[in-house]
Amino acid sequence: MKKLFFLIGMTFFFSSCEKEGVLTKGSNPIPTINNTAVLKYSGTFVPTSGITVQGNVNIYAQGNKYQLQIENITITDGPDLKVYLSKSDTPSSFVNLGNFKGNGTSVYDIPAQVDVSEYPYVLIHCQQYNHLFAIAELISKQSN
Amino acid sequence: MKNKLKKALLFSTLFILGYTANAQGCSDAGFCSVGNTFKDAQSEIKNSIEIGGVYGVGEEDVTVFSPYAIYTRIFTNRFAMSAKLTATTANGSFGTISNLGDVFVTGNYKFNTGDYDKSKWSGILGVKIPLTASNDKINNFSLPMPYQSSLGTFDVITGLDLAIKKWEFSTAVQIPLNQNKNSYLSQLAPTDKFDSTNLLERKSDVLFRATYKIKTENQKFIFRPNVLFIYHLGKDSFENVFGQRQTIQNSEGLTINGNLITSYRLSEKNYIEASIATPFVVREVRPDGLTRAFTIGLSYKRNF
Repeated sequence: MKKLFFLIGMTFFFSSCEKEGVLTKGSNPIPTINNTAVLKYSGTFVPTSGITVQGNVNIYAQGNKYQLQIENITITDGPDLKVYLSKSDTPSSFVNLGNFKGNGTSVYDIPAQVDVSEYPYVLIHCQQYNHLFAIAELISKQSN
Repeated sequence: MKNKLKKALLFSTLFILGYTANAQGCSDAGFCSVGNTFKDAQSEIKNSIEIGGVYGVGEEDVTVFSPYAIYTRIFTNRFAMSAKLTATTANGSFGTISNLGDVFVTGNYKFNTGDYDKSKWSGILGVKIPLTASNDKINNFSLPMPYQSSLGTFDVITGLDLAIKKWEFSTAVQIPLNQNKNSYLSQLAPTDKFDSTNLLERKSDVLFRATYKIKTENQKFIFRPNVLFIYHLGKDSFENVFGQRQTIQNSEGLTINGNLITSYRLSEKNYIEASIATPFVVREVRPDGLTRAFTIGLSYKRNF
């Protein structure tokens, strides 16, 4: 019977691992900001209670395409962090731009149908536990 | 003799390959195998432990291996409880990911313990407790449901079982109590081959199974061909990129599976069991990731 329990234990022990596949390798195309893109909005992240954050966010336009760049960010680790373009400083009406890509600088494509001027906030939000980590209010960099 | 063996192998291979290409279906072993607690239990047996694994061909290029362990305690000739632990390894274009799945705790009560000719009724009540939020990722990529080791929901399972002579009829309902925490959105993913399941809200399922039992004369083999109907009672929904809940059209409906279980008695208290299952009718859209073209299972059971 001891052997049986050992076998069960080993089976479940070996069941905790992960390996990248062709769709999840780091070599997939990563969005970048083109040199000719125009800076439209920028902001600085401020933390919510219990969180530390430093970093900026910029929104660039190239033609009709908008991209959001999080720049030089350092934020407290959290599970399932998402980047939201939001109508308010709480995650109630927003566009989910995807998983937060980690500390440093990263770029997120904004869906074409989004009117960026209606979303004056960028949020970093833990979706799994519904906890807001950081807020950046966007300031327009151009009058038009 | 060799020719017969070759023919049998060829037939088996064609059977498996044929269904691999065409079908989808049931996989949630905890739900699909409800009502098994008392099967062939001898009166002096108080405990049993079973370990096994199920290999399945899932959606797109996903293959899944799900090991499990079940401990059953028979308290009286009417009442037994089981605890089942599952895990899953899924492999496909997103990569390979393994994790624990769910714990199923079920109680089984016999309403009567009649003779062979009389109908025997039993009831089951249980819960499924997820060990993950159904939000596993690889390299920070959210994974679709076929890669998740659990539905990520707390479920209540209840059902009735009727055994009469060589026939057994089971019915059960599985009711999810919460949304899961999956975060897969096809718009943000490197492929559009899987349904969006961000914060998936899954509807209940109703199950009906009819099984016919065949024992060989030497009592060594038991064959249990069965047909399993699962009706998904409503349309599932997910939260889209705009934070709005969106219904997944055509995600309700019927799945019909065929299943053959073969048990072999190694000794008085030791059994091995093999199963093969495949669906014949499937729902049009199945976002929960439970789709299998076919499954093959092998388990070992020891009574003590």
